[in-house]
Amino acid sequence: MKRITYLMAGLLVAAIATVGCGSDRDPGRVYMPDMAYSRAYESYAQLDSNKFTTNPDKVGGKKIYYNAMPPAGTIKRGELFPYIIAHDTVGYRISAKVENPIAGMTKAGLQEAGRLYNINCAICHDAKGTGQGPVAAKVPGVANLTGDVYKLMTDGTMFYSITYGKNNMGSYASQLDRKQRWEVIKYIRSLQGVDVTMTSDSNTATATTNDSTVKK
Amino acid sequence: MRRNRKIVQIILTSVFLLTCISLTNTVFAQDGEALFKANCASCHKVDKDFAGPALKGWKDRVPPGDWIYNWVHNPAAMIAKDPFAKELFDKWKPTMMTSFASLKNEEIDAIMKYVDNYAPEAPKTAPGTATAVSTTGSEDNNSLLYGILTLILAVVALILLQVNSNLRKLTDQKEGIERSEPVPFYRNKAYIMLAVIVLFAVGGYFLVDGIIGLGRQTNYKPVQPIFYSHEVHAGVNQISCLYCHGGAQDSKQAGIPSVNVCMNCHVAINEYKGDLKLVREDGSAVDGTAEIKKLYAYAGWDATNKQYKPDTNGDGIPDGAKPIAWVKIHNLPDHVYFNHSQHVKVGKQNCQTCHGEIQKMAEVKQFSDLSMGWCINCHRETKVDFYNNKTGEGNKFYSIYEKFHNDIKNHKMDSVTVESIGGTECQKCHY
Repeated sequence: MKRITYLMAGLLVAAIATVGCGSDRDPGRVYMPDMAYSRAYESYAQLDSNKFTTNPDKVGGKKIYYNAMPPAGTIKRGELFPYIIAHDTVGYRISAKVENPIAGMTKAGLQEAGRLYNINCAICHDAKGTGQGPVAAKVPGVANLTGDVYKLMTDGTMFYSITYGKNNMGSYASQLDRKQRWEVIKYIRSLQGVDVTMTSDSNTATATTNDSTVKK
Repeated sequence: MRRNRKIVQIILTSVFLLTCISLTNTVFAQDGEALFKANCASCHKVDKDFAGPALKGWKDRVPPGDWIYNWVHNPAAMIAKDPFAKELFDKWKPTMMTSFASLKNEEIDAIMKYVDNYAPEAPKTAPGTATAVSTTGSEDNNSLLYGILTLILAVVALILLQVNSNLRKLTDQKEGIERSEPVPFYRNKAYIMLAVIVLFAVGGYFLVDGIIGLGRQTNYKPVQPIFYSHEVHAGVNQISCLYCHGGAQDSKQAGIPSVNVCMNCHVAINEYKGDLKLVREDGSAVDGTAEIKKLYAYAGWDATNKQYKPDTNGDGIPDGAKPIAWVKIHNLPDHVYFNHSQHVKVGKQNCQTCHGEIQKMAEVKQFSDLSMGWCINCHRETKVDFYNNKTGEGNKFYSIYEKFHNDIKNHKMDSVTVESIGGTECQKCHY
């Protein structure tokens, strides 16, 4: 008799313990912290449960591990060579002479560039390039990419502006890699009504001479 | 006769010419607005300063004559020689007027005419602001009602039982039957057994529920260092999810945007003036402008001088800048592998499928429980973008699944789910 009562009481206490302390602001508990939290560095993983070190100046001592920058002087596979023109007025001037390394676009490639344009650029410059996107009214000086000024602007100058930002536009180097930036410029040309040279849909078509991994 | 004909000819040509002139005039008058929007509106507003000065009242400020044409056609040359142009340039430095060499004088006239005749649109009365308040608070709580009802019934049952036993006692006395003192109900084995069963069921239910919920964080909504409203950014301003979380298409992590991505827009947008009220969970109002100021502190942005603070200690970032320690909401245990790009880029799933209607969340909460059952269920139901041999549509990778192609051809199966291509195998996610 008594045993049952104790059992019941224990059951109730356990139930209250597991249910009672839940709040939307609290992540709750996990079964096995050893299996739940990564021992290895994971992006954005909080290192609460297993501190590697108590020294907050060391990487392991920080609560959140952010992905480190790639080692200096390395290039991602398939990525174009780094852009060496400096971010200053002289750089802006000479950037006009840099030619677009993307010779021709496939239909699928142009579509993909359009997708990237719609994600990253259309928010201000509008899906049609008219500079009247959803946020354009709040940001002064959004360029009308279909205007004459931008039809005459060279690909190289556009690339400089996308890479470093210009006036109120920020740098998009962290959102689009170099190849994607050149391709988006091609897409902007197509919005301007310029015939973008097309290449056939074969795998070698998009490989460019500046690609760091192209076999020569 | 001949003279008459000549007069008629003159009249006809003059009428023709006049109509021509008036026609071109009307064309330009109509085009003023379109020209303004296409060429000027990105930097100029009529009634207030934007990237450049407000254009209203330009005639009183600008030197008379051809100045305006020369300025629009070639501002750089004007700054070099004209004192007023120089003054204007100095005031708005470093922003400089773009040159519009291709605009004709008539077109500039049409634009300035539009500016002169511009009347601001009447402010829209915001509908629905008054009606949106009264929905909270009056929530009917049915479970409380049922609870009270059950309690009343239990009390009634208890009274009836008591009455019953008293009546029996009375009849026993009348008939002279001697019975032993009845067992009180808290010693009565039937009652105790009933109570034990009820307790076991209720306690067991909550215990099992709680244990299943261990490690699951549905509705988890931590307080973030900055009150960033997805409702304002993704909902009202229609910014694509992938603008900030671009990693979702390329990598395992969706990625939390670095501060420079915020600053792409917030260099220019330094105050919150939206119609949408920012409200915390407890109902307190949020000052959007103050939250943007917090962002500036993290970014090391000097809002008054509109530039980043200098980097004197040589760590490559402006002095005082530091990453924002956003609190991670979706925490999968380490023993589960999940890759965003697999789902977003290859599987073409919408973000909302797993994250809920983020574009309506002022503060983001975890929408799905991220349990294994939830994963598996979706893998069983979701069809892959299977390659179609005939039309060439679909994901070309799946062209290697020969058996499924044959089965589809022989009508043995009509579609391929994630499960059919191994989406429920253990080692797909656990290794």
